[in-house]
Amino acid sequence: MASQVGDKTILHARGVSKHYGGVVALEDVDLDLREGEVLAVVGDNGAGKSTLIKALTGAISKTSGTIEMDGRVVQINSPTEAKAAGIETVYQDLALVNELSITKNMFLGREIVRDDILGRLFGTLDFGKMDAEIRALFQKLDIRIADIYREAEAFSGGQRQAVALAKTVMFGKRIAILDEPTAALGVRESKMAMDLVRSLKDHGLSVIMITHNMQHVMNYCDRVMVLRLGRLAAVRDVKDVDGDALVGLITGATEDKAA
Amino acid sequence: MTDMTQNSSTQISTPAADGSSFAILRHQFLQIWQVLAALVLIYLVFFVLSEPFRSLDTLLSIFGQASILAILACGTTVVLISGGLDLSVGSIFAVVGVIVGIALAEYQLPVLVAVLIGLMAGAAMGALNGTIQVFTKVPAFIVTLGGLTAYKGIAEILASGRDLSRFPESFQMLGSGYLVPMLIMFGVALLTGLFLTKTRLGNHAFAIGGNEEVARLSGVNVRKSRIYYYMLGGVLAATAAILEVSKLNFAMPARGQSYELFAIAAVVIGGTSLFGGRGGVGKTLIGMLIMQTIIVGLSYLGVGTSVQRIAIGIIIIVAVYWDVWRRPSR
Repeated sequence: MASQVGDKTILHARGVSKHYGGVVALEDVDLDLREGEVLAVVGDNGAGKSTLIKALTGAISKTSGTIEMDGRVVQINSPTEAKAAGIETVYQDLALVNELSITKNMFLGREIVRDDILGRLFGTLDFGKMDAEIRALFQKLDIRIADIYREAEAFSGGQRQAVALAKTVMFGKRIAILDEPTAALGVRESKMAMDLVRSLKDHGLSVIMITHNMQHVMNYCDRVMVLRLGRLAAVRDVKDVDGDALVGLITGATEDKAA
Repeated sequence: MTDMTQNSSTQISTPAADGSSFAILRHQFLQIWQVLAALVLIYLVFFVLSEPFRSLDTLLSIFGQASILAILACGTTVVLISGGLDLSVGSIFAVVGVIVGIALAEYQLPVLVAVLIGLMAGAAMGALNGTIQVFTKVPAFIVTLGGLTAYKGIAEILASGRDLSRFPESFQMLGSGYLVPMLIMFGVALLTGLFLTKTRLGNHAFAIGGNEEVARLSGVNVRKSRIYYYMLGGVLAATAAILEVSKLNFAMPARGQSYELFAIAAVVIGGTSLFGGRGGVGKTLIGMLIMQTIIVGLSYLGVGTSVQRIAIGIIIIVAVYWDVWRRPSR
C-alpha cells in the first residue's frame, strides 16, 4: 500500500444521535477517523449508516452529539459547512445531475468565475479553466473520459462513479465520505471504483465508506465499524476479523466482547 | 464510448485546445436542428399553399407578432428549466401595463422613469411568487394560479375609473412597427441565452431543474436561486407588457390574458423540457415562430381562429409527447 495509516485522529464524532419524533434512527454513536485510513461502515438495512454520514455532513440536523476535527469542535450544520471544513461526500444516487455535462457536475456549487469585470458583475464562468483542471485531474487519476462536455447520463455507471470520486480529490481537502460507491456497478467496474477509492489515500484523503460488500471491506479498508439498530456494535481492525465474523456482528449473532 | 476498464491510454484526452467552443456549438446545433427543420417545413407548406403568404411583409409580420410573446416566453423558459412554473405572468403583464399607463397618462412621469417602475413592479411580483413557493413549499402550480387571479384583480382595481391612453410619442416608438420589437426580442433572447449558458446563476437553473437534491447537497443555494428565476420571469413579462402598451397606445387590465399559456406552449414546442433541466431560449424563439407561422398561415388559408386554436392544441401535445418519448427512461 502506497501510504501509511497514521495514529493521528483527524475526525472525532462523539455521542451522535438522531431521533425522528419518537423513532430512534441513531443513538449515541462515536466515530474516529484516523489520518490516511479507509474506514468501512457496515450494518444491515436500517442500522443507521446513512443517517450517520448525513449527520456528519450536515445533510440532516443531528439531535445531539459533537464533531471534532484535529481536536477542535466544529459546527457542521449544512453540506456547505461540511465542504468548508474539507469534507466531501459522494451520495449513492445523488452524486451527479444527469442533465449537466461532466465539467458542470464536477464544479457544481463551486464554479470558477472569470477573473475579470464580467465575472465579478455577472458571475460569468471560466469554462476553459474548469475544463483544464478536470483534464489534468482525470489524467492524474487515470480516468479515461475525454468527452467532458457531454451530459452525465451519457456515461456508464462506472464512469459516473469515477467522476463522483474524482470530485472528492478535487475538493475534499481532508475527508471523503462515500455512500456505497459500488452499489450500482458490475464486477469489473466495482474493482475500478475501489482501486480509485484506495488511490484517494495517496492524494491525502482519509475515507469513510458505507458498504454492503464484505470482500471490499477485507480488501480495501483498514478498519471497520459495525452499526446495529442505530447503535455502534463494534469497531475492528480489518486484519483482526474475517468475513464470517463481520456478518455475525452485523446480524447480532456474535456479541462484541471488546466493547 | 470509451470503456474505463480498457487499458489503452491512447483515447485519453483530446487536448484541451481542441476547440471546446466548437464542440459546444455543434452540440447545441444538434439539439436544435429538429425544431428548426420543423419551422422551415411549416413555412414552406404555407408558402406553397398560399400566394399572398409568400410576401416579405408576411414574414415580417410573423416576427412582429411573435416578438412580444417571445420576450415573455424567454422568462418562462428560465423558470421551466429550473423545474418551476409561473402561470401568473399573463396577470403580471396586465398589472405592469396598467401601472406604466398610470405613470405616463396620469402622473406624466418621464418615459424612462415609467419604464423602470414597470420593470421593478414585474420583478417584485415575480419575486413574491418565488418567495411564497420556497418558504411555504406550496407547489408552483398552486402559488402561481393564485397569482394569476390575484394580480388580475390588482390590475382591475388600479385601472378602474382611469383613462389610460394617449401616451407621449417617445413612448409610442418603443412598440411601433415590427423592427423595434423584433430587435428587442433578439436582444432579450441573446441576453437570456448568455445568462443561462455563461453565468453561475444560469447554470444552476439546469442543475436545480435536473435534480434539486443533488444541487442542494452540492452547495447550491436553491431557494435564493429560484426566487431570482421567478424575478427574471416577472421582469421579462413586464418588458413585454411595456412594449404592448406602447404599441396599442392604451393600457387595460384585460390584456395579457392566456399569455402564460401561449408562452408555455412556445417553450414546449421549441423542445425545452417541462420537467426541468433541459432547454434554451433559442428553442423557445423557434417554438414561438412555429406557433405564429401556423396562426398567420392558417388565416391566409381562410381558416378561422377556432380551428387555429385546435391546431395549436394538437401541436402542444405532439411536442410534449416527443419530449417524453426521447427522454431516457432512467
